[in-house]
Amino acid sequence: MNVLAHARLPEPDVRPTLIALRGVSKTYQRGKESVEVLKELDLDVPEGAFEALMGPSGSGKSTLLHLIAALDAPTGGSIKVSGVELASMSENERAHWRAHNVGFIFQTYNLMPVLSALQNVELPLLLTSLSSSERKRRAQIALQAVGIADRAHHRPNQLSGGQQQRVAIARAIVSDPTIIVADEPTGDLDRHSADQILNLLERLNRELNKTIIMVTHDPAAAERAGTVRRLNKGALL
Amino acid sequence: MNLVSVAIQNTRRNLFRSILTVVGVAIAMLAFLLLRTVLSAWLVGVQHAATDRLATRHKVTFVMPLPKRYVDTVRQVPGVQAVTWMTFFGGKVPGKEEQLGSVAVDAPTFLRVYDELVLPEPQREHFLRDRRGAIVGVALARQFGWKVGDRITLAGTTFAGEWEFSVDGIYTVKRRSVDELSMFFHWSYLNDSLPTQLREQVGWISSKVASAREAPIVAKRIDDGFESRETQTLSMSERAVNNSFMGMASTLLDAIQIVSLVILVIMLLILGNTIAMGVRERTQEYAVLRAIGFLPRHVVIFVLGEATALASAGGLLAVALGVPFINSGVARYLEENMAGFFPFFRLAARDMLLALVLSGVLAVLAALLPALRASKLQVTDALRKLG
Repeated sequence: MNVLAHARLPEPDVRPTLIALRGVSKTYQRGKESVEVLKELDLDVPEGAFEALMGPSGSGKSTLLHLIAALDAPTGGSIKVSGVELASMSENERAHWRAHNVGFIFQTYNLMPVLSALQNVELPLLLTSLSSSERKRRAQIALQAVGIADRAHHRPNQLSGGQQQRVAIARAIVSDPTIIVADEPTGDLDRHSADQILNLLERLNRELNKTIIMVTHDPAAAERAGTVRRLNKGALL
Repeated sequence: MNLVSVAIQNTRRNLFRSILTVVGVAIAMLAFLLLRTVLSAWLVGVQHAATDRLATRHKVTFVMPLPKRYVDTVRQVPGVQAVTWMTFFGGKVPGKEEQLGSVAVDAPTFLRVYDELVLPEPQREHFLRDRRGAIVGVALARQFGWKVGDRITLAGTTFAGEWEFSVDGIYTVKRRSVDELSMFFHWSYLNDSLPTQLREQVGWISSKVASAREAPIVAKRIDDGFESRETQTLSMSERAVNNSFMGMASTLLDAIQIVSLVILVIMLLILGNTIAMGVRERTQEYAVLRAIGFLPRHVVIFVLGEATALASAGGLLAVALGVPFINSGVARYLEENMAGFFPFFRLAARDMLLALVLSGVLAVLAALLPALRASKLQVTDALRKLG
């Protein structure tokens, strides 16, 4: 084999597929008008991938993220995560599946202002049968993992934007999900804080093998992802 | 931490609004408690009136007297165990507008028939011997600062003139069939002081019967006995007498009930408004909760929990304020100025419990619609608005 050619060709991804979309379409009804947001989309995301979804506003990236995260059901096609078909699940089944398999990170953190950082992280564990002490223990470990254990008893308004996003990431990983979906996780942060959050996501991906799907408009953020996928008018380019 | 504690913590989110809501609920519930106490106080005469005591009065109206000799006839009626007689006197303390509940009684028989009056033995003995003596209820004595041994003067209302009495005793009651705001003095003192043509008449005859079940039978026997006499009688149990008085005030009582309901509706609206505003402001937060796996019913628990916490705090505050406000403030004023209507004006434990239960029930009613709306929100639409 030519050494030069070997250096130019990408390594074939041998990791097993975690997320498999086949012929996925999503149509919204707006009054009498049908708007097709995603069109017969196929996508394979391997386990442990860190992928960025980019595209102009209205391209369908948030819709795709919501479908992968089982927040919504497709109009057509199949979505399988770890071999489990999401498309045919009821709303409550999807909620149950999300609680155990997906961690969410939002642009505006969305922490509950009356709860401390520790309590915010503990929140998803209320859906489990864990004891109170075990929930606290796990929440503390998650806060340590994102490097903000010393702010455990601070309320969100006592934390900077970057710190709040770290708490949100701790909340996303506390139930040890398979997938982390992040919708513009650095959109509200300055460059320095954004870099720190991206470092953290890279670490979660690399060290804990979390599969991360991140929607972003920020090319610098997208650069950190192993794969960048671009959407336009409901189709992957 | 659990779902309910998170809901309760949510009440601190907009602390000023929560405090205003709690105070609003507390004021509404306090007004409700006040009206409930008015109703209870008004009905206490009926609820606690004796059922084994008959009052025999003139058949035409209670204003017209009966001949005193009727007492002996009533005493002979089978089923009557003891008899006494009395005449309403009224009278005013000079300088005061309020008419007293003073009654001229045949003291020896009165104290036997009305055995719920508790009087120290020396005071009883003294009263029975003292022709101008009177016994006064402990609340009345407190109201005017009267003590045993005081000489008091009443200005006659039904019976003209100035009437002097000596306070021989201060009674309490062991049953609420008699209030502690009355004054009893000797019928003979009144009778002997009247012009000859007005003497030997009584306001009504009170007789003790063996049981409440026998009361109507004995009442009929009494009235039948006077059927062919110059003055016919009407006998009924004390409870029936009080009930007939209540009948006259039934419209007013109905009005009070309606106002109570209106207050509850106002409270419902106050709570509903606060909860609806909170839910509207937190739509996206509920969307996040739904996204991380919470079910619609969890959102309902969050909203109802918060509403119940606010309303319960308001209910508790109303009860905490109600006890001193009603029992010490309003009660004192009413006992001094309207004692005849409200002899026992106290906040009842059952009304406090009712207020607390209603606070919870109204909270659920007020929050149900916003809670259901929040639980049915379109998660993806709400998340898109997050930006």
